[in-house]
Amino acid sequence: MKRFEALRILAELTDEHPVVVTCAATSRELASVKDTDNHLYLLDSMGLVGSVATGLALDLPEGTPKVIGIEGDGSLLMNPNVLPTGGYIKPDTLLIVLDNEVYGSTAGLPTYSSEVNLEKLAAAAGWEAGRAEDAETLTSQYKRLLEVTDKPAFLHVPIEAGNAADIPKLLIDPVSITHRFTRWLKTAGERANLP
Amino acid sequence: MASAYARSVAEAIWASDVTRVGYIPSVTVAPVINELVEIDGGDDGVSTRVTPLSREEEAVGVMSSVALNGGLGAIVMQDNGFGNALTALTTWTLSYHLPLLIFANTRGSLGEYNSMIHSISTPVPRLLEATGIHYLELDRRSDAEDWGDVVKEAANHAQMTFRPVVVLGSFWNTDGKVA
Repeated sequence: MKRFEALRILAELTDEHPVVVTCAATSRELASVKDTDNHLYLLDSMGLVGSVATGLALDLPEGTPKVIGIEGDGSLLMNPNVLPTGGYIKPDTLLIVLDNEVYGSTAGLPTYSSEVNLEKLAAAAGWEAGRAEDAETLTSQYKRLLEVTDKPAFLHVPIEAGNAADIPKLLIDPVSITHRFTRWLKTAGERANLP
Repeated sequence: MASAYARSVAEAIWASDVTRVGYIPSVTVAPVINELVEIDGGDDGVSTRVTPLSREEEAVGVMSSVALNGGLGAIVMQDNGFGNALTALTTWTLSYHLPLLIFANTRGSLGEYNSMIHSISTPVPRLLEATGIHYLELDRRSDAEDWGDVVKEAANHAQMTFRPVVVLGSFWNTDGKVA
């Protein structure tokens, strides 16, 4: 599965959720699939998706759907503290790691993930972990992990290396992302409970 | 007996709009953490609103994000951790206009025994200045009540400016300890 295909599926699945998205190619590709106010793009903060998702989940307004993080293997490995912090604090989050074994936005240089099993790493830190290798299991594992509430959930998604062609850079003022995301978040709980 | 300075800082944090506190421990700032936890009804370094965090950049990521829900996060740490925190503070907190209060004890000047820690702690004010992070400095020349007033107003200032605000506290020649 290519990243773009995975993001196309995730954009639909996470439609009503607060979604924290890692920087560079992943943010750009997600925005080109669907650019909506529930997407909090981290334009240049590698390693912070799990941290931001944790802080966001601490005092989420009642009824707001689970916080979703879309992270890359390189970014997670830049701040693997996210895993023990999640195991300790137990935020109600689902962290989806699109793992292509390279720094996809940085010349395709290798990460550790060809040698380090991220799923086992997360499980050892106290997360409920799952794995999805195709479109079908991505949807089924996502739905399974969405139901986990007593610990954070981790979905490991191996993908092909390479970025989608002709995707424009995401040249947005970060403040405008904060503004539109927080405005969306204020009423996310109410919207989710509508019949 | 508890440090009046530490007590004043902790009371000021809770008297401000701070809703969550994350900390990275140091022996100097531990009295502040213990007071925060005690006031919040917890023990052994943890309470409902106070939690340890593994590293300064992790703390910046978690505690700045509290503002997305309308709350205010605070970090209690030591100034030698700013080297770890700066990329997160600039690319996340500062760039996304998120209020955050940081209270950090200092290790780069009077009373410091560790020759190595000066290398990072002494230039911290200049690092913060160069990256556009507002900071305020406290030391022996003002009393515990003043420390509390400054911390409380710094939290207010963070909210007014939608930015991180740092309070650097030197405990040398106060009733606290340096290291």
